[in-house]
Amino acid sequence: MTLTVAGTPKEYPDGINLTRLIELEKVETPMYVTVALNDAFVESGGFEAAVLKDGDTVEFLYFMGGGR
Amino acid sequence: MPETPGAELRPDARADVTDVVCPATFAKALAALEDLEKGRILEIRMNDGEAARNVPLSLKDEGHQVLKLRDNGDGTCSLLVRKLAD
Amino acid sequence: MAFSNEQLTRYSRHIILKEFGIKGQKKLSRGSVLIVGAGGLGSPAALYLAAAGVGRIGIVDADDVDLSNLQRQIIHGTDDIGRPKADSARAGMLAVNPETEVRAVRAFLNAGNIMDIIRDYDFIIDGTDNFPAKFLINDACVLSGKAFSHAGILRFSGQLTTYVPGRGACYRCIFKEPPPPEAVPTCRQAGVIGALAGVVGSLQAMEAVKYLAGIGEVLAGALLTYDALTTAFRKIALPRRDDCAVCGAHPSITAPVDYAQAACDLTA
Repeated sequence: MTLTVAGTPKEYPDGINLTRLIELEKVETPMYVTVALNDAFVESGGFEAAVLKDGDTVEFLYFMGGGR
Repeated sequence: MPETPGAELRPDARADVTDVVCPATFAKALAALEDLEKGRILEIRMNDGEAARNVPLSLKDEGHQVLKLRDNGDGTCSLLVRKLAD
Repeated sequence: MAFSNEQLTRYSRHIILKEFGIKGQKKLSRGSVLIVGAGGLGSPAALYLAAAGVGRIGIVDADDVDLSNLQRQIIHGTDDIGRPKADSARAGMLAVNPETEVRAVRAFLNAGNIMDIIRDYDFIIDGTDNFPAKFLINDACVLSGKAFSHAGILRFSGQLTTYVPGRGACYRCIFKEPPPPEAVPTCRQAGVIGALAGVVGSLQAMEAVKYLAGIGEVLAGALLTYDALTTAFRKIALPRRDDCAVCGAHPSITAPVDYAQAACDLTA
């Protein structure tokens, strides 16, 4: 199936959930990433239950604390 | 304010932009127009050369009506422009 | 208010822009911006906003200029080392534009003082380097109905969003709580390219200019990300959280909150 992750469409194994996608994408600090699935936030407790389907759009939003 | 054909156009206000250089000439003309109501006429005195070439074109581009450019014979010219845009 | 010849000349590149004009410049000169942090983000933001003719600028910082700051904090010079950053930044802004009124605030923002400090400003720029401050600024701006620009930078990446009351997500909609101290690296631990701070801080200045002058569209309801290594900008639409603790329908946060800071961020 094709997922658009961070703006780029790519092929992924069918039926993976967000937890697996986070592993595949080697997301840094997975404990603290915010995930938007099809323009809605997914609570971090809900990654396991969030089974992805063809055409889904996923964004990872990372904490960036710098500025000084 | 309709004008009679051939009648002298009377400015409602005057601005002198001979004491600044481009593009502040245009900026100063815009500042003077800002204080006028739509439809009113501004007379702008400017130096021959760059200002006289650019200011009328820029004002036209802003949507104002350029009415007349008169050579004052002293290295300056005067432009009559009607405020049409906000 | 009439502009002098000197002002018309100084701001001519703004005024001759059709979409900006005299009206835009007047709005800037009547406007005020508070910049929190005279650092990597705050330096370019402060310089551009002073140069642009923003009427009043506040600059908040409790630290002194350190040699390690100068790689990116371009409002300070080598001669400023040891000087309070707020004072050095004030001098830098006045050198660019003596007409701007600049207030230097030598303080750390906290839950007790932030509401008073932001009250007098139209727009706030978050140029801080830690999560407790970023959440504090977000909450205080949401609670007092102020627009602000959030930005964060790390290594080679940056992010930016503009909160405008009633127009999309706040910072807490995206990131519900600060991460535990030291769970997520900050610049201090991870490093950052100086010019990256310049890019992102300049974007913050642009957001303030648009907001004050009322031109274009500010970055509300979206997060802009910038990857300097690949030169990729992305604008990600942000959903709002109806249950956001501060801007949601039934907020649980009704006053600013102080969070603990990472130990390494407490030392200047």
